[in-house]
Amino acid sequence: MNRNVSRIFAAFFGVLAITLPLFAGDYPLQVARNIMLYMALAITWDMLLRSGQISFGIAGLFGLGAYAAILGVIRAGMPAWLSILFAAVFSGVAAFLIGLLILRLRAMYFSIVTLALGEIFRIIVHNLHDFTGGPEGVVIQQGVIFGGNANKLYWLALVGLAVALAASTWFEKSKIHFALTAIRDNEISAKSSGIDIFRWLLLAFVVTSAIQGFLGGIFVQSYGFATPDTVFSADFTLLPLAMALLGGVYSTTGPVFGALLLGLVSEWLKLKIPYGHLVVYGIIIIIVILFMPQGLKQLVRRDAGKTEGRNA
Amino acid sequence: MVVKRRTAFIVALSAAAVVALILWKPTVLIYGLQAAGLYAAVAIPMGLVLGIVHIVNLAHGEFMMVASYAAYFGCRALGMDPLLAIVPTAIVTAVFGWIMFQLTIRRALKAPELNQLILTFGLAIAFTQSINLIFTSQTYKMPLDYVSASMDIGDLTFGTWSFVFVAVAIIFAYGLQLFLTKTTTGKAALAVGQNPRGAAIVGIDVYRTYGLVFALALALVGAMGALFLTKSAIFPSVGSPFTMKSFCLIAMAGIGNIPGILGASVLLGVAENFLRAFRPTRDWAEIVFFVLIIVVILARSLKGRKS
Amino acid sequence: MKRMMLALAVLAILAGSAYAQGTIKIGGIWTLADITGKQGSAAAQLAVDEINAAGGVLGKKLELIVVDDEGKADKAAAAVEKLATVDKVDVFVGGMASGAELGKIPAFKKYGKVVMSTGAAGSATVEKALGPSPESDFYFHLHPWDYNQGASYAEGWNAIQQKYPNIQIKKIFLAYEEGAFGKSSWDATKVLFGGDNRYIVDGASFKSALLGGGDYTAVLEAAKAFKPDLFLWAGYDADALPLLEQSKAMKFSPGIYLGAPPGWPIGFGSSKLSRNVMLYGMWSTAMNDNNPASAKFYKNYVAKYKEEPATYFAPLAYSAVYILVDGIKAAGTTETAPLVKALEATKYASPLGETITFKPSNIIKHQGITRQKILQWQDGFQEVIWPFEAATAAPVYPFPAWK
Repeated sequence: MNRNVSRIFAAFFGVLAITLPLFAGDYPLQVARNIMLYMALAITWDMLLRSGQISFGIAGLFGLGAYAAILGVIRAGMPAWLSILFAAVFSGVAAFLIGLLILRLRAMYFSIVTLALGEIFRIIVHNLHDFTGGPEGVVIQQGVIFGGNANKLYWLALVGLAVALAASTWFEKSKIHFALTAIRDNEISAKSSGIDIFRWLLLAFVVTSAIQGFLGGIFVQSYGFATPDTVFSADFTLLPLAMALLGGVYSTTGPVFGALLLGLVSEWLKLKIPYGHLVVYGIIIIIVILFMPQGLKQLVRRDAGKTEGRNA
Repeated sequence: MVVKRRTAFIVALSAAAVVALILWKPTVLIYGLQAAGLYAAVAIPMGLVLGIVHIVNLAHGEFMMVASYAAYFGCRALGMDPLLAIVPTAIVTAVFGWIMFQLTIRRALKAPELNQLILTFGLAIAFTQSINLIFTSQTYKMPLDYVSASMDIGDLTFGTWSFVFVAVAIIFAYGLQLFLTKTTTGKAALAVGQNPRGAAIVGIDVYRTYGLVFALALALVGAMGALFLTKSAIFPSVGSPFTMKSFCLIAMAGIGNIPGILGASVLLGVAENFLRAFRPTRDWAEIVFFVLIIVVILARSLKGRKS
Repeated sequence: MKRMMLALAVLAILAGSAYAQGTIKIGGIWTLADITGKQGSAAAQLAVDEINAAGGVLGKKLELIVVDDEGKADKAAAAVEKLATVDKVDVFVGGMASGAELGKIPAFKKYGKVVMSTGAAGSATVEKALGPSPESDFYFHLHPWDYNQGASYAEGWNAIQQKYPNIQIKKIFLAYEEGAFGKSSWDATKVLFGGDNRYIVDGASFKSALLGGGDYTAVLEAAKAFKPDLFLWAGYDADALPLLEQSKAMKFSPGIYLGAPPGWPIGFGSSKLSRNVMLYGMWSTAMNDNNPASAKFYKNYVAKYKEEPATYFAPLAYSAVYILVDGIKAAGTTETAPLVKALEATKYASPLGETITFKPSNIIKHQGITRQKILQWQDGFQEVIWPFEAATAAPVYPFPAWK
């Protein structure tokens, strides 16, 4: 697609996103918030994927941030806005420490370890009853941030998305892009051309995890509670992954389109087919991936027809 | 020589640990093995698919769930015991798996590798929700007398039925090992798993082999689906936790190492039950599963780097 | 063509607004993929149909609009927004799991419309998030809180032991599933039974089969070692038979074997192992014999849907609609303030076997049902043992030892 056309598109969507509260009701705003949250998670997942590392730990870091934020408010008396930043820092630092240990792992082993770490976070939160509230969870006594004002909550979610978009664009436009792509394409030649693989992976892991924690903080402040089942839900891993893959990976636009598609479809189907909409949802995922193996990006980028699969 | 001595040391140490455990807390070993049997029997078919077809089948547990429903309603309609349904369910599930493979997974194999993840995720949702729509979220359980079979040794009374899963896991693991190393089809499958391009050059039909291996794995899943009725109630989401557990066990054993899944399962099953046996630690039993997986994977990667 | 479309559109708008004037809209939110939500929404629709057949409310038709919350907080919040702003419903009903309910509460508070809640027992989160009166006065909580249930059981067992001196309970063991449901049961049991020295209470958690567990060996070992007079398990329907099978294999037979799942598996009563198992619940088909409201609900539900109500959430949702409608009739409006006042005077003889009124609970002002029932599986049916005024059978004691 022509570069100018895509700029116009981006500008159009940007203006639409910012001005939505001026003309949309509370229901579209709520749906938009849900979609933007998953969209941002999908973008962060894709950012790490650009190095070839497949994380299954989104829910773990999201949940960690969510609990950091809510416990920051309840146990340390943080103001709401600070707790969201604290969530980002907490998940980021956790990711840094974990990353030192696990970023030497590759392929499936990395995926499994991130998955297992997410489960470990969940069990710890689950079992430290007195501090975290245990399986029943905790609520923020003073309620939802901004007194539940729909417009402000929308803008808060938009900030979360904007941070993810900005980071992703930074990854795409800077040196990081070449480093991560080189690692993904051929690690050995990347190493021999002087790329410090571990450092770049650590950077990508910490940045994406911090954003995931940030989004977790936004989530708890928007609903005023956290329970282990809610914030560590496997949905926060699987849906962003599905969105990124359906939209098309290794880019910012792919996850954006994928999240729009799945987010809108799921809300629409729910209203049209109250009983059984999830069956259709599953079938749509299957069909899209079978007929658009490169994701929705394929619709706009004709040159993406080349497959990278096995040609046996 | 050093390596041998170390192996002997490890064997002696584990034997000592087992003896100590039998004397001290026999139930830990009994229930640990029973749990391990179930884990391994479900994980082995997934390990086969992952090792040879190289796809992470996120619908693995859901395939078992569908097989369980088929077996349940088959048994109820014919007044049959689920044990008699093992072979028919295996055949039906294998055919179903083969069709699914041809319709969906085969196409995704030609696409970028990650597409298989999302495809099988879509299958998992479609299976679970279709079953939910037809049979609701209510649970079904077959009342069977023999599953309460029990044994007394001194003061100790424990259930023996779940040992059947240990037997099944061993049969699966060694049966597959024999198949892969002794039969022509099995050797071809192994070759395809190790090097699909090379296998294609020597004239093996790679996609046919993938389809066969997938169907074979699904036959085992189907057999487990029928046997699972003796152990558990069934409901639409009953399979999904097994997908993650199986995936973890396979990674712990190392991809392609099917007998290793047995060892990983025993380690995890016994460790979990060990923590469950004591009041201060019993709430933390679940965490040991994930901690051990991380430790084993990290240790192996460190060892791999050194050598 | 264009003109015809326009005419049709105008007609549609006119018809829509005329229709809207003549209806009172109830927004229902449940988890529809779950049997509780599926049947709860169906039972609510049954109540709406009955009321409309009898002439509606205040001369208007009643309309129920159901939206799925998928058991998720964010989807639940969107469901409230949709019903409030797009459908412009007058009141809300529904609810089951606490996690989804917590997602709805901020939006409920924003609109302040009357909510007749059929679920969410978690007092530590849901009741706390609702907050004290008057900010939570719009919220009518029909389902008992976890501590209401615990208190009710303590009362029930005291009464049973007084009436049947052969039943003597000293040691109680609770096997609780490790999630929010089980943990809150454990907290309530510890306080309400272990508080004075009347009972000795112990417990251990297990992972429910519903959530990926299903291994009961360790918890049963702990229970067996404790030698309880009363063994209670708080889990889900998927745990019911495997727990009994494992208990039999381990020859664990306490004097009272008691389960507290929200529902029982299909065909549980036909299993030999179900004999004389006791249970906590709110409703059973046996109540059709001595409660006309139960009989009427059951008959109409089965006639309409050709299936049995599987859990108490069906009669609960049915009751919720009737209570709302009675309140609207008395208030003459759906405006929150007068409607809340009218609902405070509720006295509804429910199919759950008790007359529902609203009283303050620990935090909120409008708590409906506080009492649970103690029942027993006898010859494949759930018979009510306590409260005695609703009893359909006498208890069979003790639980038979395994052969």
